[in-house]
Amino acid sequence: MSLKTKLLLLVTVSITASVGAVAWLIEERAHEAFRQVEQDRTSALVNQFRREFEHEGEEITRGVEAIAGSDVMLRTVTELANGAEYANYVNEAASHATAQRLDFLDLIAPDGAIISSAHWPARFGYKQRWFLDRPAPLPQQAFLKHIETPQGSVLAMICLRPVRVHGLSFYLIGGRKLDAVVQSLSAPAGLRVSIFSAPEQGPGELLGPARESFGSAKAMALIQKVLEQRNESSTTVDSGPASGQEEIVHAIPLPGYTDRVPAVLLVANSLEQELLLEKRIRNISLMIAGVGVFIGVVVSGIVTARFSRPIRTLAQAATEIGQGNWNVRVETSGKDEIGKLAVAFNQMTEELMGQRERLVQSERVAAWRELARRLAHELKNPLFPLQITVENLLRARQNSPEMFDEVFRESTTTLLAEIANLKTIIGRFSDFSKMPAPQLQAVDLNEIVRSVAQLFQAQLNREPARIKPALHLGDVPQVNADPVLLRRVIENLVLNAIDAMPKGGTLTFLTTTADRSAVFELSDTGDGLTPEECERLFTPYYTTKQHGTGLGLAIVQSVVSDHGGKISVSSKKDQGTTFHVELPVFSDASTVEFGSGKD
Amino acid sequence: MKRLLLQLFAISSLALLAAGGYGSSRPRYGGAVRVLLHDKVMSLDPLSDEDHPAARDRMTALAFETLTEIDAQGHLRPMLASSWHADTAKRVWQFRLRLANFHDGTVLTAADAAASLAKSNPAWKYSAPDRQTITIETPSPVQHMPEMMALPRYAIVKRQADSNGAVVLAGTGSYKLSQWQAGERAQFTANEDYWGGRPFADTIEFQMGSSLRDQLMERQLGPYAATELSVDQIRTVEQNNQTVALSRPSDLLAIVFLQPDSGGKPGKKPVDQRIREALGLAVNRAAISNVLFQRKGAPASGLLPQWLTGYEFMFGGATNLDRARELRADAAAFVVISPIALAYDFADPQAKLVAERIAVDAREAGIVVQPYAESHINGKTSRSAINADAVLLRVPLQSVDPQVALAARIDDLGLFQENSPAILGATRPEDLFEIERKLLASNHVVPVAHIPQALWLNNNAHNWQQLVTGAWQLDQLWVEGAR
Repeated sequence: MSLKTKLLLLVTVSITASVGAVAWLIEERAHEAFRQVEQDRTSALVNQFRREFEHEGEEITRGVEAIAGSDVMLRTVTELANGAEYANYVNEAASHATAQRLDFLDLIAPDGAIISSAHWPARFGYKQRWFLDRPAPLPQQAFLKHIETPQGSVLAMICLRPVRVHGLSFYLIGGRKLDAVVQSLSAPAGLRVSIFSAPEQGPGELLGPARESFGSAKAMALIQKVLEQRNESSTTVDSGPASGQEEIVHAIPLPGYTDRVPAVLLVANSLEQELLLEKRIRNISLMIAGVGVFIGVVVSGIVTARFSRPIRTLAQAATEIGQGNWNVRVETSGKDEIGKLAVAFNQMTEELMGQRERLVQSERVAAWRELARRLAHELKNPLFPLQITVENLLRARQNSPEMFDEVFRESTTTLLAEIANLKTIIGRFSDFSKMPAPQLQAVDLNEIVRSVAQLFQAQLNREPARIKPALHLGDVPQVNADPVLLRRVIENLVLNAIDAMPKGGTLTFLTTTADRSAVFELSDTGDGLTPEECERLFTPYYTTKQHGTGLGLAIVQSVVSDHGGKISVSSKKDQGTTFHVELPVFSDASTVEFGSGKD
Repeated sequence: MKRLLLQLFAISSLALLAAGGYGSSRPRYGGAVRVLLHDKVMSLDPLSDEDHPAARDRMTALAFETLTEIDAQGHLRPMLASSWHADTAKRVWQFRLRLANFHDGTVLTAADAAASLAKSNPAWKYSAPDRQTITIETPSPVQHMPEMMALPRYAIVKRQADSNGAVVLAGTGSYKLSQWQAGERAQFTANEDYWGGRPFADTIEFQMGSSLRDQLMERQLGPYAATELSVDQIRTVEQNNQTVALSRPSDLLAIVFLQPDSGGKPGKKPVDQRIREALGLAVNRAAISNVLFQRKGAPASGLLPQWLTGYEFMFGGATNLDRARELRADAAAFVVISPIALAYDFADPQAKLVAERIAVDAREAGIVVQPYAESHINGKTSRSAINADAVLLRVPLQSVDPQVALAARIDDLGLFQENSPAILGATRPEDLFEIERKLLASNHVVPVAHIPQALWLNNNAHNWQQLVTGAWQLDQLWVEGAR
């Protein structure tokens, strides 16, 4: 991935993240704001309910107190206290309840027996002792309690007032159904309100016009939680089948006259409008974010291209240097870091070129020196016999003319032999300088290896230094090589290996594949080489043998290199040496490439 | 002893009524008497399956006469029959008719009477040996045939079709029907040719369908001679020094379970017998009588009141919630106990209160009773069509003769009619007790209370005779201000 792409990607990611963060922040803020509005609406409704609740409670209290203080009731209670039959007053409560608009009114005897019940006249005689058996006094204001009626238990707001006559306390319990309070609430659009009535026995029920919509399992679980924990709570429930039809339900416990919660006020606020607005804000945010990211990417692309161009130029220059083209210069524009880097780069290449020149010159000198040394060494050996032979001829001419002919004959033979030797030496140097270009074709590497091993079979089996050949030839594809040169390479390596094992050993041939190359390895079990020897092994005219020219492995490396391959050596002292040759696999493309190369 | 008590009570009632005004002036002819009735009567035919037969009978008694009658003193008296006798087996009865004319001017004959009675009771055989003699032959002995003949259903009615094919009823009573609007108004005019002499009042007009509260308002404002009262209104009326005529606790208020074999809807699942018994044990009859009926009623444990039979106390009737709960638990082990739908008369606020009280008491025994109002529960036909498990019925006492009263009562309650011959043939009170005990043992009927008929009387109305059964005899009625 290019620096430009990386920079572009980095900038794009940064812009996207920034814009996304801003969009998220906007959405969260909007969400919080909507929640606050929803809370305010709910609070307003709850406050309205509380006001209605208190107002209703005050009305009920006033009504019950009015009945308790009325002359009619005082007269009734006085008559009852004086022994009048309860039966005569069985319908007493109804008219009082009607006058005070009470849904419930019980006139109760001191022992708790119902004398008259407006809402359940048939219940006369039965006892109500819940307020008599209670150790703590009841609240003076109206409170919530479930009242038994013919239709079942009904949640009511009731008030109790004693009426005392002649030391006897009769009681009036009056109240109204709570659902009337719910009915009177005017909930704004999108808000619904209901009350869950939780009687002491039996299942609870929802009151109010919107009760059906609070029957979901989630809402019921919320109600149960509030009943158990006696704390306000809320949850979000689905109010319809389509997505987005959600509402938040607040559950507020309504206190009774004991610790037990007799009812829960439920306020549901539809989130439909809010979610629509949030969705709109989100869409706008996304649109802005998209445009921002697009502009950011375009601008950053331009900026990145401008900033990365000199770096790319430097990189290309460095690549060319790496490919051997040292004569590269980069344009130096500007005085910023990139400009300074370009100047430094140019200075560096100039310095490197200078160093290379010096290195080439020194290597050239060293090569000439080595060549001179080698030539001197190689030529000195035959020259010395030539000198001795010529001196012997001169000496025989002077000292023993009779033997001169014989000496002359022997000396000329020797001279010719040494001259032939000199010619051979010169021929080798000539060969090295005239290495032919390889004629590449598809070659079966295994076949050549097998053939060479067969060729050297007799030499390997020579006693006493018997060498055991081991062939591990893998399934390698054909290589792109000159068969003659490749054979020479392998023969040369085998000869070296045989020389390395004067006491015999094992010579291992191995072929395998690696990536898109075929691999040939030849391992001996000789004394091995030192690291220094390994390093200089392919240097021309370097040899570890007494009579070597030091050109064999140099030729091998040259041939392998001409084939586009690689050769390396690894060795361990006293364990042997392994030559590792990698050759390119033959393919049509390689032929074409080669062909075009030739052209 | 019983008969003596009845007589004493009747005499004292009459004396009370007479003290209201009769003593101060003599009867006068003329004038119109207006009466308010709570119930709406749809047909005046004594044999119609009427929702409110008691109200109907009060009106039809003016126009349609029976062969005999029970007077205010509880005595059996001749009416259209001047005399009667029976064979020793009490299976063949012969009644001698007096000379009387129908309202259409025709003479009453034995054939007319036989035709009328044949419609009233097709199970008996009727014959007319001569114009004035009618013979009734029954398959089983009927000990009290003359008392039976005093029942309104045995009134002699001549049924003729008019030119439009509608049935026109003609009777022989002291008043004849002059105007009729079903369910709203009925006006009777004095029968100038009445065999017993012209009645005092010119007309008697019945206004039907007013609620008791409305009737009370009308009584205070309007020119009515009498209105029906509910028991809970008596105290208020008495406190205002108004005249109230109160019968003996004669009507029976009872829970009747509508079984397929006792007038219920066919195919309806009957309420388990243990639950029926448990409900009977749970009902606090004393509370109902003392409070809801202001001690004017009497707890009922039998079909007939104690004052009539003398043996009702032997049926017990005390509340026993523990036993009721046991029975309920016992039943719950075998059957699924469903709530009992108890229908009560839509037009009777007292019945509503009683039904609700029964529900309250039943709840204490773990039985769920769901009272609800029905418009037609008294008619046998309409009763067989409603979905209730039980109805709270108020049935009038039709006779002061225990046998006749019991036979009529099981007929009104829709109980097993196969008991009728045994009832009518019973010669001893013990036999009647045993029959009633067996009837009650099945718990198809749970008696709740015996309640009186209450009537407010205007002080200018005289000789308004209310029998101990609550029935009216108005042939001697006269009003002040007439000519």
